[in-house]
This record gives sequence, structure tokens and C-alpha cells, in this order.
Amino acid sequence: MIPEPGKALAELAGKLALDVLPEVGSTYGMANAGLISLLMGALAEDFERAIANRFADIAELRDLFAQASAAPGATERAEFAASEPASLKLADVCTWHDEGMALLIELHRWAEQTDTAVDGEIWQFLYRHTERNCFAD
Amino acid sequence: MTPALTDLGNRLATYLSRVWEEPLVLSDIEQIPGGASRETYRVQLARGAEQAPRGVILRRDPVTSLIDTERALEFKTYEAVHRCGFPVPEPLLLEEDPAVLDRPFSLMAEITGCETATTNFAISPFAEVRDKLGELKWSLLGRLAAMDIEELGVHEFMPVPEHPAARELEYWSGVIRADALQPQPVAEAAIRWLEKRLPEPSGQLCLVHGDYRSGNFLYNAAGEIPAILDWEMAHIGDPLEDLAWSFDPLWAWPDKVLAGGLLQRKAAMAIWQRASNMEVDADAFRWWQVFASLKGLAIWISSTEDFAHGESKEPILAVAGWLMTDRHNRIVVDRLNPASRHQYSEPLQ
Repeated sequence: MIPEPGKALAELAGKLALDVLPEVGSTYGMANAGLISLLMGALAEDFERAIANRFADIAELRDLFAQASAAPGATERAEFAASEPASLKLADVCTWHDEGMALLIELHRWAEQTDTAVDGEIWQFLYRHTERNCFAD
Repeated sequence: MTPALTDLGNRLATYLSRVWEEPLVLSDIEQIPGGASRETYRVQLARGAEQAPRGVILRRDPVTSLIDTERALEFKTYEAVHRCGFPVPEPLLLEEDPAVLDRPFSLMAEITGCETATTNFAISPFAEVRDKLGELKWSLLGRLAAMDIEELGVHEFMPVPEHPAARELEYWSGVIRADALQPQPVAEAAIRWLEKRLPEPSGQLCLVHGDYRSGNFLYNAAGEIPAILDWEMAHIGDPLEDLAWSFDPLWAWPDKVLAGGLLQRKAAMAIWQRASNMEVDADAFRWWQVFASLKGLAIWISSTEDFAHGESKEPILAVAGWLMTDRHNRIVVDRLNPASRHQYSEPLQ
């Protein structure tokens, strides 16, 4: 087994872009090979960080939810904050993360009307969340 | 030509020979990349030894696409704008019977010697005509905004909205909520922002292209724009909608200075105002700028759903799901975060 699959995937993306793509006969084929190479590069980036990033998001969500204990839905948020994913497989971690994000949407809706400080914290969280998960330009 | 392409081209030639009452033989066919809403092919048809081959562009419904659109409406739009002398490929034929080429299709006249790639704007010989292309791009958009919808005749086959902003927001919010595979906290925040600040109808209605951006027009090294393409999202609406869409940072990514990779936004807006004879209302324009980024997100979210659950596994749909969604999420946060550092977009004016 290759110990660094993300790195291997990135190298294969490079191989596709630099060696295979120029050999493809049609413009359509070249364009698709380019897109698949681009996607493989993005997946390579996400491969290593996906679980860590979702845990980082959830650590921040727990702090945010603790700050907003006065907002409606506190019980659901507290239950979520105390929960763990069903397993450490990416699909299970994503399901768990989705539950937290759904609760965040409701909290944000409330904060916009009621609590400027929490609203600002949520926007800062969303900034860090998008930066953490962004792909290289 | 692959066997599948040759078969498609031969079937088209046989069909056109009958419809146009002229013997036509396939001489070449190639699929054009980037046709995300329709499968697009360049077809050369031989017409006998004495005559030059006829070039046509075949646009066939895909199995699934980035944008779910009405082909008849798109074709009628091409006919309407072409009739008024607006630069578009000449629409030749719409065939909705799937028996002919498996799925409905339309045909346009081929325009040769042109490019669409936005990456060319930074390199010779196109960099030398970048300003000229920018001037033309926003002049044409201003001209479109100024065209009377009744003179164009588009009101006969498109709904005329009472409140264009409300109608567009309702439609694209609906797309996000129907197609999202995961909670979308950034899109939901943008929807609430837009709902709270809905601008009153400006009273100015025009034909909105719906995807007026660099990449959707043909240009050449002489700095000409012979045709505006991809009218599948055209509708009657507010003139600011296309202007704001054309300014979205995604279309020049990662450059945030030049709108569409061509001109400074201020210069582009002045050109548009001159050509349309309209003044831009700053508050309304700010709303349409945020809306543009939300609409982008909606398209990518919908494409992701298509890729995950649909029959088509076109790479462009997956690129939308990862890379485009990521960029538009960053743009929306950048626009709306009260503590934004404006890394990706200019501050809303």
C-alpha cells in the first residue's frame, strides 16, 4: 500500500495533465482529461485534510453553541455538542458535520435578528470554514 | 472521428438532406468542450464538388446538464435577437422529435476563426485587444438592456415578471433547497440577506441573457465579438441582473481587479451606462451583485446533485461540485461577512 494516497493522487493528476492529455486526439477529449486532472488534484488536497477539517469545524461549532445558550434550540445544540460520529469513516464524519451545520443555520437565523455579537462570530466561523476547505487556485 | 460521432453525423446529414432538400454528406464532426447545458458539436457537411462544405453547430439535449433549461425558449430567443441584428449565431432549425438523433436538438450556423477561452485575454495577440473587447462586451450588454422587449417579441413566449428580483430569488433559492446534498450555511445566509433587502422593481424590463460573462462570447484577434452565445437562461428581467453577473469575481478568478478579465469595473460600468442610457442605482446593484454569487452557488449545487444522482458523469459537473462551489462560497462570505477583508471580491459599492 502507498502510505501517502493524497500525494500519489496528486502525482497521477500531474501525469494525466502533462503526459496523457497532450496525446489525446480530440479537443473534447483534451478538455475532459484536463478537467479530470484538475479534479484529481482537488481530491488529493482534500484526501489528507477532510476528517481533520470536519473535526476542526465541529470544535469551533461547540464553542459557538456554548456561547449562544440563550438562543432557541439550546437543547438540540447541547446534545449535538456532546455527540460523536458513528465512526471515523469520512461518510459518518460528514453526516455528523451536516447535523452541526444544520443547527448552525438555525442559530444564524436567530442571531441576525437578536445578537450582533453571535452573528459576527458565525460569519467569522464561516470565513475560517471556507478557507480551511478551499482548494488551491 | 469515433464510430459514435460518425454515426451521429451521418444521421444528421441524412436528416438535413431531407429537410433542406439538398444532398449533404458528412465530412467532419467533432464535439466541442464546454457545452455544459447542451452537447455541442461542430459538423462539416459536403454539398458536392462545386460548393464549399456547410458548417453547422449541433446542440443536442444532454442526458443531464449543469442547467435545466427549455430548448424551445432558447431557440426562440436566438431567433428574436438575431432578427434584431444582435450578434448571435444564426439559428437554423429546432427538432424536438427524439427519434431523429435520440434527443431533441437545434442547429446554428458555424462562425469560424474565433475563440471563447478567457485565458487568452492575458496573452498575445489577444492581450493587445483586451480593452477593445471589454468596450464591445459591455456596449453590447448595454444595447441589449436598451432593447424593447415588445419589439424583440420575447414577451410572446417568456413570462413578464411583476417583480424581477423577487422572482429570480424565489427560483434560485428553490433550486438550492431542492438540490443541496448538504446543509448550506453560506447560501442560506445570502438568501436571508437578499430577502431582507429586496429592491423595488425598477420599472425597466429587458431581455436578460442570464449567463453574460467572459467565456460565453466568440471573439477574434482583431478585437471583434461576432457572437454572444449560450442563451439558455434568457428571461425577461431587470437590466442590472446581467451587469452584476458579468462583474462576478468568479469570471476572472483569481484576479479581482478586472471584470471578466477585461476591464476595470468602473470603466465597464461607464460603457454599459452609455450604451444602455441607464443610470445604475447603487443599492439595487449591490443586491444584484450578491444575487449573482448566490445564483452561481445554486448552479454548482444543482450540478453536484446531477453528478451524484443523475445519469451523466461529465467531469464538468463534478468540477462544479468541488471547485466552483468552493469559490462561490468564498466569494459570498467575502461579500457579506461584516469583518470581511475582501480577499476575493471588491467591496460592495
